[in-house]
Amino acid sequence: MSRKVCIIGGATTPFDYGPTGFESIEGGAAECVKETQQDVPGFSLRDLDLMIYSHFSVHFGHQLAPEWIIHDHLGLVGLPHYRVENGGNTGGSALYAAALAILSGRHDVVGVVGWETMDSVSQSQGSEFIALASDIRYELMVGGIYPIYYAAMANKWMKENHVTEEDVATIAVKNKNNAMDNPKAQWYRNDHKYITVEDVMNSRLISYPIKKLDCSLMSRGVAFLLVCSEEYAKKTNPDQYVTVDGMGLSSCTIRAGDRLNNPGWSERYGPGYPGMTEFAACRYSAEQAYKMAGIRDPLKDIDFGEIHDAFSTSEAQIYKALGLATEDTIVEFIRDERTSMHGDIPMNPGGGLLGYGHPVGATGLMSMIECYYQLAGMIPKKHLSKKTEVPNPECGIVNSHAGTGTSISNFILRRH
Amino acid sequence: MTVTIVMKHKKEKFADPPNFTEKKNYRPSDVKETGLVFVGHEVSEDRTAMNQFLHYDQLYTIRHGWNSKFFIGLLEGKIMGTRCPKCGDSWVPVRTHCWNLNCKLERTEWVEMPLTAKVHTWTVAGWSGRSSLKRLPIILVYAIIGTSKVAMANELHGMNPWDVEFEMPLKIVFKPKDQRVGAVTDFHFEPADFWKPSPMNPEKQRIKDLVTPVYEWVKTLK
Repeated sequence: MSRKVCIIGGATTPFDYGPTGFESIEGGAAECVKETQQDVPGFSLRDLDLMIYSHFSVHFGHQLAPEWIIHDHLGLVGLPHYRVENGGNTGGSALYAAALAILSGRHDVVGVVGWETMDSVSQSQGSEFIALASDIRYELMVGGIYPIYYAAMANKWMKENHVTEEDVATIAVKNKNNAMDNPKAQWYRNDHKYITVEDVMNSRLISYPIKKLDCSLMSRGVAFLLVCSEEYAKKTNPDQYVTVDGMGLSSCTIRAGDRLNNPGWSERYGPGYPGMTEFAACRYSAEQAYKMAGIRDPLKDIDFGEIHDAFSTSEAQIYKALGLATEDTIVEFIRDERTSMHGDIPMNPGGGLLGYGHPVGATGLMSMIECYYQLAGMIPKKHLSKKTEVPNPECGIVNSHAGTGTSISNFILRRH
Repeated sequence: MTVTIVMKHKKEKFADPPNFTEKKNYRPSDVKETGLVFVGHEVSEDRTAMNQFLHYDQLYTIRHGWNSKFFIGLLEGKIMGTRCPKCGDSWVPVRTHCWNLNCKLERTEWVEMPLTAKVHTWTVAGWSGRSSLKRLPIILVYAIIGTSKVAMANELHGMNPWDVEFEMPLKIVFKPKDQRVGAVTDFHFEPADFWKPSPMNPEKQRIKDLVTPVYEWVKTLK
């Protein structure tokens, strides 16, 4: 590939549920761009030649094409713009679109703005809005919301892989406690406490085996990511740019129950895979990203990741789908704390969806921005301490995840 | 001068419009289509922030089209599946075209499925969407009905939540005919008559402990 895709900056608003100080979406977007301009003084809005907007559900804002409000507000009239929507993988898909725009040679400087305003309705109504992305004819009306679908999948996965409730609770503890070092994280801003495995085990039942503290947070938040060609990166932010060396995007069935004998997966991975337990689209998109980036052994070649921990259980399932562990090693992998800050491949040092929050359209961008900060050496500036700084990282993975694993993207980022 | 226009080709319709002869209206008296209505607002003490409350209520028409036989089947107390005449795969939930790429989107045929199923996986929900809160705790299972190649989600009734098991045999139970609406909520699963729960064990006790407060919480809902 002749052209390289680079990330040279980005920022989020504080993620929150309720008042944040950035309560208009266009105001939030403007503040994210301003923070990026402070980090990258050479960047001007005049340099942008494409804007991509990342937003999941217009139900929350009750506004069709809300990106038009933001785009107009940023003073970008005349610039081409469109919105990407792909469930929980909206952010990852927007970056995928931005990267394709750069790779095509048509565009050099692409801004990506993502947001969601999930606090415009009650939590239970919000859950139902999100569940409109499941097949409403078959699943929504039988008590179905995403935590329940994920719980049904995780329950079987945990049995088959001998992973316990306590094992996955350690993931919730890790991410929420990481978020206590991140002033923009919703867990830091609202709950603001360090938790233990016992706290997770004692939290209220959402859907067995998932409890409240195993779940990510419904959020209001906005994010901005600056994607560009290497030429622009070298000119504008030569000391703090990262390259997107690998990317993959894959898809799976909308209904998780349709994965038991699906011929599309049987052809690729043999009969019976993924069943209702494995994230085939994660595995397949990771394989694409690894191949593109020359990753042979992800455990050795990748230093850390920001991955889609919508539930503590799904982070565990993602470890396996990314090839970091197998059925034989997954329990040991979790219990050895390999993904904690003192482990060999820290996951979600920024807090993840469990700690930072999950305003869907902004989520994948948040993961990308945290990964960028780590690789660009900006954690001491952006977090409260060096506790959540990965030491000398060269390579990070970002994972964005939709539906019940219905769309998943993976990106390999490297420092330059 | 008189000009005569001759229609060379009669415009063909894609399909004859359906003649809807069976109509039922069971709208509760408190469901109103108000459209967009502002129903209140609040302003902060320092008058720098404002929230506005917007109510939106809209009727949707879900046109089931080629999937209709499944939903009509529910009204009749039947589980209708589909089957590919080429490769033989069958499905509930239905597919109107085969999923096997070698079958080149072959149109499928309708088959009536037996009213029996088997649990593939399960969960016990203590929280749900707004429309389902009062039914908590809910046992949600993905179960394989008859020869289906896929598992279908629905609620499992008629047993303690902590007794649900993988692979347990189920029967499909429909609501009384006059209560059916042609949606998947017209039926639920129940344990097969011959099935007996296994003795109490630590996992069952754990689930029992987790759902006990849910029963109490639901009693407080208005």
